[in-house]
Amino acid sequence: MIEVRFFATLRSGRGKITEVSADEVSTAGDILRRFEIPEEEVHILLINGFHSRPEAAVKDGDIVSLFPPVGGG
Amino acid sequence: MVFSEDQKKRYSRQLVIPEIGPAGQEKLLRSKVLIIGTGGLGSPVALYLAAAGVGTVGLVDKDAVDLSNLQRQILHSTETLGVAKVESAAGRLRALNPDVQVICHPVFVDESNIDRLIAPYDFVVECTDSFDAKYLVNDACVRGGKAFCHGAVIRFFGQIMTYVPGKGPCYRCAFRQPPDPEKAPDAKKLGVIGAVPGVIGCLQAMEAIKFLTGAGELLTGKLLSFDALTMDFETIELQPDPNCPACGKE
Repeated sequence: MIEVRFFATLRSGRGKITEVSADEVSTAGDILRRFEIPEEEVHILLINGFHSRPEAAVKDGDIVSLFPPVGGG
Repeated sequence: MVFSEDQKKRYSRQLVIPEIGPAGQEKLLRSKVLIIGTGGLGSPVALYLAAAGVGTVGLVDKDAVDLSNLQRQILHSTETLGVAKVESAAGRLRALNPDVQVICHPVFVDESNIDRLIAPYDFVVECTDSFDAKYLVNDACVRGGKAFCHGAVIRFFGQIMTYVPGKGPCYRCAFRQPPDPEKAPDAKKLGVIGAVPGVIGCLQAMEAIKFLTGAGELLTGKLLSFDALTMDFETIELQPDPNCPACGKE
């Protein structure tokens, strides 16, 4: 399974954390599409703590963290 | 350093803490911290650093106090509406603690001034409200070998991370590119609950105090995310990116 963690406003309607079968997605972008998250709404896409991109491959055991832009001060 | 009787009393609650003590207090009094942005985040940062006795506090902001600020920007008041924020803040900080030298920089940060602004300071607290400024501060601190603490808020959410040269990723390692300005959310449209920058700003002040005194562990290599709706504080490990355009060649 791939663990998907949503943060800040991306939690709305999706919860905090979920899992996706590695058989059902091959890239981080597949995960975004599955949860109907436009790419421009993701400011950080981390795979196991590393900066990554939607085209990056994901595999069983990965942790994918998704943050929206948070820029207020 | 010999503390005056007033100083012994003023700082008594932190002089008794082993991690601070007289040596830590002396470090604070001799330290210089630059706070970029004196709004929702900068307010608690400036108040707590001045209260703790940070000897020099620099304030950077070009805005004037507006009525819409007062819901969260607790440095300012109805009496200082229309006054330059750095002056409004300086008055409050000097009244709070006369030990503190407050230096006002009534400008917005840009490419032409950022290196010169941060140079004299020991630590920078990034409390800006624009993505452009956040990247500008990160890149200048990386370039200048300056430690800084990033903070950001929106609605019920906040985040914070600390960069120390050579000790972990910078802001750009994780947040590679600014979001599209046309689509980036801003607090004016999305809103923010005043206590959220209060929480994040207090954490930024704590990071500054720990950096200056050497107490504890900093949020280097970590992004702390705060969700006020569920009261979750979550720490996400971040890795330095060898291909980071800002710090990748360190």
